[in-house]
Amino acid sequence: MNRRAFYMFMSPSLLVMLTLMVFPLITSIWLSMQYMTFRNINEPEFVGLANYIEVFEDLKFWNAFSFTMTYIAIAVPLQISSGFLIAVLLDQVSRRLRGIYIAAFLMPFIVVPVVGTLMVKQLFESGGIVAWAYREIIGSRFILTEQSVKSLIIIHALWAATPFPLIVFFAGLQTLPDELVEASMIDGATRLQQLRHIMIPHLRSLFVFIGLISIMDAYRVFDSVFVLTEQNPIYKAEVMMLYTFRTAMSVQRLGKANAMSVITVVMILVVLVPFLIRTYKEQTEER
Amino acid sequence: MNKLLIVFAILLLALPVIAQDDMDPCVLDPPMDATEVNFMGWAFPITEFFAAELEKCNEVDNLTVNVQLLDSASAEEQANLALAGGGDSPWALLHTTPARMVVLSGFDALLPLNDLVEQYREEYNLDDIPQPVWDAATIDGNIYGVPFMSNTMHLFYRTDIFEAHGIDVPTTYDEVMDACAALADEPSIDLPFTMNLHAGWAWEIEFMHFIRSFGGAFLDDETNMPTFNSDAGVAALTKMKEVVDACMGPEGLTYSIDDSEIGMETGTLAFVHIWASRAANMDDPEKSDYVGGIGFAGSPAPNPDSGILGGSAWIDAYSIAKRSGVDHDLVFRAIMETFDYEGQVGGAAHGAVVRTSVAEAGHGGRNLPAMAVSLGQGVGGSSLNPAAALVSTALGNWLPLVGSGDLSPEEALDSAAEEYIAEATAQGYIDG
Repeated sequence: MNRRAFYMFMSPSLLVMLTLMVFPLITSIWLSMQYMTFRNINEPEFVGLANYIEVFEDLKFWNAFSFTMTYIAIAVPLQISSGFLIAVLLDQVSRRLRGIYIAAFLMPFIVVPVVGTLMVKQLFESGGIVAWAYREIIGSRFILTEQSVKSLIIIHALWAATPFPLIVFFAGLQTLPDELVEASMIDGATRLQQLRHIMIPHLRSLFVFIGLISIMDAYRVFDSVFVLTEQNPIYKAEVMMLYTFRTAMSVQRLGKANAMSVITVVMILVVLVPFLIRTYKEQTEER
Repeated sequence: MNKLLIVFAILLLALPVIAQDDMDPCVLDPPMDATEVNFMGWAFPITEFFAAELEKCNEVDNLTVNVQLLDSASAEEQANLALAGGGDSPWALLHTTPARMVVLSGFDALLPLNDLVEQYREEYNLDDIPQPVWDAATIDGNIYGVPFMSNTMHLFYRTDIFEAHGIDVPTTYDEVMDACAALADEPSIDLPFTMNLHAGWAWEIEFMHFIRSFGGAFLDDETNMPTFNSDAGVAALTKMKEVVDACMGPEGLTYSIDDSEIGMETGTLAFVHIWASRAANMDDPEKSDYVGGIGFAGSPAPNPDSGILGGSAWIDAYSIAKRSGVDHDLVFRAIMETFDYEGQVGGAAHGAVVRTSVAEAGHGGRNLPAMAVSLGQGVGGSSLNPAAALVSTALGNWLPLVGSGDLSPEEALDSAAEEYIAEATAQGYIDG
């Protein structure tokens, strides 16, 4: 393919990316260097890096960062491992039943995130079935506390995001050559050995891919925390996106909130770039 | 504000109950061209009723009315985002309160309605609305909203449980705590009492009731310096914490307004301090198991020595966006469709409407005497100081941590003051 044709094919995608990603990012960087509230939105004041300095000195920002990291560290491995486990089990189910199971597991994907969170929350509220079961079994009422709210946020993440790794791993397992599995069975490999020496290596690139997407997804968690905490500080469960939102909407510091957004993008890149470089190298080596 | 409270009290004391469904159609003259009137507000029983009234105007040729009812915080955020820049408003019609009028008129986003009110004063009998109510929607001589209801908080209580335990209706928060102690072993309820403290903004509203009852205030309106971190503030917050510990515990701190309402309707709570606009649902057999069994009384006094009750005065109004591309006259007349006598009579079944003639004819809910007490003997309206929004945010960030036991009242108030001063100074409300 000559260079001219390459650019002709690439230009629509480039245009879309420039419009939807690069331009908003540049705008956000510009806004992050302004002192801007709703009162001076038409006449913002240039303050250079002052908003960034303020963010880095803001204890609440670091608290939000800390809980976001904890959330990622717990939720992402849980999502990936449970998605993988269910995919392996689903692979053993007869074709007729698979459709039913897949449809059931994809339900959280169909539900609007806020509605899904409300549904999960209502299970645990007074009158909810889980709250009722808790009361019957434990003998006391389920109460929203710092620990229980944080646990609910993780449970919701598991419920809402597991379908993604599940469906990707399941698709990956369908590409596993039958001969490999049959040969291992003839050699006397146990299920666990098949899992460790055949399936996981076969799905290795998918683990990286799902890991990347899940980390990005978890990094920008908002809906579930917003609904479950109702922004109440007693739960100490503020995440970065929620704190950014509150800084913009409640404190009305639009420039500072944009600085937080830019910092978030940079932090995501710091986490993801090594993965991307490694994936790129693997792909080029395979060719 | 005192005049406003007296008028409300007089209006609301003229009452028995007649719930009447309003079936009057929208009789607007059709606009020449196809016109869309978008309305944004927040949902509770009376606003849902008036929104349905407004939607009747969809029957008018060339007119489409789109109603968007959110929760109040979301409505505020949406309006700030859309209107702060000074461009066209996506909504021709907005649900506002006096505090919201201060913010939105500061963006030059609201139309002063003086001319339209004058033009239609006779046709729609606008003198039927008491002048103090109009005054509450007026800033610097500009009428920025047509008030459609008043609101406050007061006590809702289960009459059967109170009778069974021989409890008199509490008039102070000390008596509230005594009642909670008396109900501690009542097996049919989950909690004896809740007030709305599930979120930061909810703490801020109840704290306003308590601090004013103790003689304090949020701000010095001359300097915009905080005054909530004072002896009165500490006394108020200490009393709130005592009520939380005696009546609510950690579980009660999670009860939203909806949770408290449902708790009364299903019998899992014995009494609550909640918005008057929730009273209509207590007698709705589709929602309540205790129709006719819920009593209403004025707010208790946080500070028995002052006698000032812990309820505040609020009005809700319709405001017209200055720039929406929709004919202002048409929007005003659309408002008036919900505002005619029949519409207000229908609305009176869901909350306290503002037309004198409706109150005098005896239309309204069972809770109106309780409303009158909270309005007449309560702490008055919220602050119209533009810096008050920053106070609310700061208090909302810190007060809940007193309820959870993470901070003492003094620590929470000092932290909130520090946060407010930093932000208010940066935003130019306080001289640096």
